[in-house]
Amino acid sequence: MNAVVAAYRELETRILAALREDLREAEFDALALAAHAFQKRWNTPYANFCAPRPTAMHWREIPAVPQSAFKTARLSVAPPGMISRTFRTSGTTGEGFGEHHFIDPRLYDAAMLAGWDWLDRRSAEAVILLTQESADAPHSSLAQMFSTLARERFGEFVFAVVNGGGVLDVERFRAAMKTCFSAKRPVALLGTALAFLHLSEQVGGECFDRLPGTLVLETGGYKGSGREVPKVELYRRIGGLFDLEPEDILNEYGMTELSSQFYTRGLGRPHEGPPWVRAVVIDPETGGETAVGETGVLRIFDLANLGSVLAVETQDLAVRRERGFELLGRAPAALPRGCSRAADERMRA
Amino acid sequence: MNAPGLLSMNTAERAHHLAAAAARFPFLGRTTADELLALVRAEFSHAEALDDFVPYGGHFAKVLAVETILHVVSANTPAAGLQSLIRGLLLGAHNLCKTPSAGLPEIGEFRAALPAELTARVEIAGELPADWLARADALIVFGHDATIAHFRTLARPEQRFIAHGHRLSFGVVFDDPAHASAPLAARDASLFDQQGCLSPHVFYVAGDARGYAARLAEEMRAFQEREPRGKIALAEANAIRTRREDLAFRAAQGEPVTLWQSEASTAWTVVCDARPGFPRSPLNRFVFVKPLPTDFGAELREVRAHLSCAGFWPATLAHARTLAPLGVSRLCPLGQMQEPPWTWLQDGAPALAPLVRWVGTEGARE
Repeated sequence: MNAVVAAYRELETRILAALREDLREAEFDALALAAHAFQKRWNTPYANFCAPRPTAMHWREIPAVPQSAFKTARLSVAPPGMISRTFRTSGTTGEGFGEHHFIDPRLYDAAMLAGWDWLDRRSAEAVILLTQESADAPHSSLAQMFSTLARERFGEFVFAVVNGGGVLDVERFRAAMKTCFSAKRPVALLGTALAFLHLSEQVGGECFDRLPGTLVLETGGYKGSGREVPKVELYRRIGGLFDLEPEDILNEYGMTELSSQFYTRGLGRPHEGPPWVRAVVIDPETGGETAVGETGVLRIFDLANLGSVLAVETQDLAVRRERGFELLGRAPAALPRGCSRAADERMRA
Repeated sequence: MNAPGLLSMNTAERAHHLAAAAARFPFLGRTTADELLALVRAEFSHAEALDDFVPYGGHFAKVLAVETILHVVSANTPAAGLQSLIRGLLLGAHNLCKTPSAGLPEIGEFRAALPAELTARVEIAGELPADWLARADALIVFGHDATIAHFRTLARPEQRFIAHGHRLSFGVVFDDPAHASAPLAARDASLFDQQGCLSPHVFYVAGDARGYAARLAEEMRAFQEREPRGKIALAEANAIRTRREDLAFRAAQGEPVTLWQSEASTAWTVVCDARPGFPRSPLNRFVFVKPLPTDFGAELREVRAHLSCAGFWPATLAHARTLAPLGVSRLCPLGQMQEPPWTWLQDGAPALAPLVRWVGTEGARE
């Protein structure tokens, strides 16, 4: 076996074993430093970036690449011939798109599924996807995430209501809701914030029958779409569609450049991630960590990002909380982007 | 409410009072009555043309200002808004000042420094009162494209509409092997924390651009020590941090980019960047240095419609002739970019002339 793949598999095995709730800080630190050393060894652009910086002795000291680096360079430990999947950022802002390469999606899928289980949302027994399936959108990390989740956790009861061209089929949606209700299966509705917005606009004041345990998982925001609906209003509209309380609505915060996700439930609560991912809030003025209650830019350390770079500095602002962070979103000065945006263009077409 | 009756003051008296009030605002630069009257003379040939008939060709003519001007002022720097108001008062017009909703206290402070007769000619509001658009004979709008487009749709066909949109400025160092102009360049890039349309985003340097950038960084540091940058918003600091990190990553990959920056703060940043294209600064004392391109026109083509001022060194007419066709409307020596004279041709046009109407008379005698 090729040396890089052998090293990757060995670390992958250790990280797969670490995708559990009782992962300790020391174990996280040791794995992060080992993955960092591996990435510096095999990911040349990242090694170049680290060269002038001090050697990391703790996971917090691991140099974080700016999110834009995924647009600038090929940030992968493996050469193109060893890559089986590549996810792309939406790239709708005219500045080009970023790419995240994977030797295979095994660790990505495992981290996402473990994160879902960590959320403990087992009440749902069917799923309706308001995004394209991964077969129709092979470069969409969101499609991969939702399709894998549907396949692995909901088996037979999966309904895709967005066609191959990315357009929401309202009749298919109605039929899916009806089937789930008749089969007495609470449903998990997965989609971008924009997809739920489009749905609410297309069905007017209709309220769908649903069973207790039904939940909504929305993600993606409205970046660059020209739409901006406050979260309170979005949750009011979603609540009206399914007679749900905000508590029944989850938000997922993730990005193409990462492999793990952060979640929050309802309104006014911080996002938290599973134990194999850390979020640190950085004061953009000083570059140091902020105190609890202060605002800064999010820097993520994700053990599941083994094949690229585990430390990524986003352009999103957030308030540091005792546990997790309260997301404020993309700084106004930054370029708009987002997976929700790419889907929105197709839905309007 | 219509504009109050005729002013008892003549142009020279207004210029005197305006200069006295402007003296309290050093950021307005040199503002004397003579400077203001020179502006009137430059645009109307006679400093008294607003007061009485003056010779015009073989006969006489008089300048009549519009009665009421609505100034829509942007938040980035108080200087542009105050200059617009001063020109309106110099003309003797009634002035409605729509300030940003966050406020622009300098406008009110300036009004308070005027004599009563001129104070009565200035109204200020943070939110646009319902009748202001109807009252205005002319609109002067500063701001982003969206703001300008918004007010353009509100303007009536007969209203005069003057827009001052987003503008980009730059510096050019044609011949300075000793980098003697670097302190002047640092001053241009640091004053007003780079918020104005005359603030340079980039300096193009003939010869050793990297050496010039290193020297400019020293001067930016020195300027910061003398005159620390004002407080900036978190999003602005984040824009600087994001840009620095992106450029540092590119530099590490061997792209022709070098950074100099303040330690543990975003106070100042100098980037030597040899890649083609006009780089837009995230502002707040973040400036690029680039080698002077062989085809300057191609380099600036993308931003040509938005160019404002080029500071240059040495300031010779020969170099001015090189720069004039590139799309700029003002050329000045480095170090003076932020201090335009009152006669400067903002956005390439006279400032007073669009706000007046001429009356000519033939064959009249005293």
